[in-house]
Amino acid sequence: MGDFLLTIPWAVVLILLPLVGAIACFLWPKKVNQLGLITLGGVFLSVVGLGAWLLENGVYHHAVGGWNAPLGIQLYADGLSLVMLGITALVGVAVSVYATAYFDRSQSERFWPLWLFLLTALNALFLSADIFNLYVTLELLGLSAVALVALGGGKAALNGAMRYLLASLLGSLLFLFGVALLYHTYGSLDLAMLSEQVESTPTVWMALGLMSAGLLLKTALFPLHFWLPPAHASAFSPISALLSALVVKASFYLLLRLWLEIFWPISGSVAGLFGVLGVMAILWGSLQALRQTRVKMLVAYSTVAQIGYLFLAFPLAMGAGVTAWNAVIYLAISHALAKAAMFMAAGNLLRFGGHDRIADLDQLAQRLPLTIAAFALAGVSFIGLPPSGGFIGKWLLLEAALMQGRWDLAVVMVLGGILAAMYIFKVLGYAFTEASKPSKVKTVPVRMEWAALLLASGAILLGFLAPLILPLLAIGTPFDAFSGNEEIMP
Amino acid sequence: MSIAILYALVGIGLFCLGVYALMIHAHLLRKILALNIMGSGVFMVLLALAGRTEITPDPVPAAMVITGIVVAVSATALALALMLKINAITGRAELNDAEEK
Amino acid sequence: MEALSLLQWLIDGLIGIGLLWLAWRALFCPELFKAIVLFIAFGLLMTLAWVRLKAPDVALAEVAIGAGLTGALLLSSWAKLRGFDANKGMGAREKNSEQAEQKTKRPFFHGLYAIPLLLMAVGLGYGVLQLTPYATGLSAVVAENLDASGVSNPVTAVLLNFRAYDTLLEIAVLLLALIGIWSLGIRPSVREATPDPVLDLLTRFLTPLLLLVSAYLLWVGAHAPGGAFQAGSVLGAAGVLLILAGWRLPLSLAGLPLRITLVAGVSTFIVVAVLTMLGGAQLLAFPPSQASLIIFVLEITATLSIAAILAALFLGSRPDHSEKI
Repeated sequence: MGDFLLTIPWAVVLILLPLVGAIACFLWPKKVNQLGLITLGGVFLSVVGLGAWLLENGVYHHAVGGWNAPLGIQLYADGLSLVMLGITALVGVAVSVYATAYFDRSQSERFWPLWLFLLTALNALFLSADIFNLYVTLELLGLSAVALVALGGGKAALNGAMRYLLASLLGSLLFLFGVALLYHTYGSLDLAMLSEQVESTPTVWMALGLMSAGLLLKTALFPLHFWLPPAHASAFSPISALLSALVVKASFYLLLRLWLEIFWPISGSVAGLFGVLGVMAILWGSLQALRQTRVKMLVAYSTVAQIGYLFLAFPLAMGAGVTAWNAVIYLAISHALAKAAMFMAAGNLLRFGGHDRIADLDQLAQRLPLTIAAFALAGVSFIGLPPSGGFIGKWLLLEAALMQGRWDLAVVMVLGGILAAMYIFKVLGYAFTEASKPSKVKTVPVRMEWAALLLASGAILLGFLAPLILPLLAIGTPFDAFSGNEEIMP
Repeated sequence: MSIAILYALVGIGLFCLGVYALMIHAHLLRKILALNIMGSGVFMVLLALAGRTEITPDPVPAAMVITGIVVAVSATALALALMLKINAITGRAELNDAEEK
Repeated sequence: MEALSLLQWLIDGLIGIGLLWLAWRALFCPELFKAIVLFIAFGLLMTLAWVRLKAPDVALAEVAIGAGLTGALLLSSWAKLRGFDANKGMGAREKNSEQAEQKTKRPFFHGLYAIPLLLMAVGLGYGVLQLTPYATGLSAVVAENLDASGVSNPVTAVLLNFRAYDTLLEIAVLLLALIGIWSLGIRPSVREATPDPVLDLLTRFLTPLLLLVSAYLLWVGAHAPGGAFQAGSVLGAAGVLLILAGWRLPLSLAGLPLRITLVAGVSTFIVVAVLTMLGGAQLLAFPPSQASLIIFVLEITATLSIAAILAALFLGSRPDHSEKI
């Protein structure tokens, strides 16, 4: 039985299953909740299957159509893809369960097909090793994310969706321009082949600039974050959770892959710029979060800040490659869990009181304890307190910074944590006090409270799972390019 | 300079014109036109550079451009529908920053 | 020989300048309607450019989708914007699509954007000029494997065999766009007036012709320029014409039957994908002996779905529940 299970091409299932689910949800709108949950269950099991396969056999290659590179498209999975697929499935299951209680009948009919298209795009993106195919997955991802934001239907949601769409399309076209230049320089679209051939020429530098700019725009790194807060704050809460937790991580993942595979040897010096932008994102995002008067806007700006941390790894990877990248992936997955939990908690507050004004969070700690607990636990991870996943990530990142004497970056990391503590406690403080004007309340379905709490606990639990996850991440040594640091150091 | 390079340079020109128009126009229909022209520019670079040789034309960029055209029309349709919806609610086919909360 | 190449340079130079000029006018002329017409003209000139670049398949896709369908979408959206203004009364709100569109940000900022963009253009141009003078493309590899692909048109071979997975995702993108638009819940435009008799006649005459052209493009795609996307967009154009002439899908067909037609293309791809995997092969690996049959089946359903999706994109609102938001 075990052997049979290992023969199933789980990576392919991960792409086709959600697509089939999306089509089924579109065809039979009466059964979307059941169809959707079954699909999510299948996707989750497939990630487990892929993980087992990878542990047994190392990296996964699949030549689609039986055509090897450069003619065909290659699917590729290593530890990095696995961890991203895993966190997607985990957040996906929790958000899906939450969504079954959050949406009414007609909203679910519209939510499910789009969400499953989004999941298809995410999985396809994490598994692809072909830069043009990655462009197509990026478009699939962007369009489904925009359509999900627009489900909100109000003025703010539609404006947010439109701005997001324009930014996303601009980003995709910049990426495609880079694809064109790389293809015509090396005659291949395959990441592995490109990685062998790449050298420092003006054309490759152009491609680097265009593709990085496109992906930075999609990842919403400061100062290209302008589209994120309106889109993420105005969408329905489960959708905000998906966008902040997963969608921005997908473009970050792609950027990281491109750098690791193609651009690293030629552009170590540009990494410093990413670090500077990261620092500014942390400070700007945190300060903006502090200024907000609504919970969802605050949480959205916190995403802007947390994205900044991911980019601190680029300058640090020069001297402490594997540690810095491990740190950044750890931060990314902790952020995914905690941010999804936090948006779901915000959704609960909205459902309960009909608003998310921070100043009017009337004694919610007593009246909605599970939700506030979820918010607080997620906050612990953002602040980087032990024993959360965020703590491990920041610890590793600090270690990488101190190893190289980058005190400036270390100070920013600590400062970012303090600012995070300030905006988290701003919300929590009001949740414990009585508001001046009491508001009418509605009940919050138990499922919604528990989904948020479980994900937030997951973010804490990650703090204990480092010995388990770091070896998984090392399958296929995605960060191998950095083992010989001496050669890269100037 | 060959004809391939000529068309590639035209593609770059179209791309940059599109970016410029995307930035400065407020009306959403213009922004959508701008994105389409940017797209045409990228497709032109992608295909034109394949013609740097006199032997048989490379079919892979042609296939990529066809894919790109289909993706572009999908995105355009979604963008136009969003624009109409925004216009129906706010009375203006523009992004309005001030009213976002 | 010399004169011929000079003539070619002249033609290509004119096309290039024409493209840039049309793009500039489409983006910056004050009237919106004129801008759209110029954009359609731009698309037609692009078609000519694709022909000059020896890419007739792309030219067909461009004329049908890039210029034709995108143009139709833009025009109908423009008409809806105008109709909306007219409904709201002409007074103060009239500024919407005719004057407000001219309002851009301050000229000072224009210059600010233009400088980095010019730098970018120069940089990109330099990058392109630095490319090696010979193409390192894949035409040789494609030619080598063309016999095993099941078709003799190399572009179709790439789209439906070598890189069929891209095409699968691409049809998914098309379907997704439609589902996204439907989920916006746009009300159908209430324009039940009797259609223009000229349009009616034109439709009666053109629809069968478009059907024929579509079938031809589908069939010829295996060995000459054409294929599912071109055929689907021509068929979709027939649907757009019918919609313009006031024809609507009967409600009995607008539910599940329509949805099945819309998903048929991507579903066939998935079924073929699963079958190839069950046969122990790679995803979407067609046995060379059956490849041409498989590709033909994929193309037929893809054509139908693409046509249905494109026509539905044009209609904009869900045909089955007309009043629900």
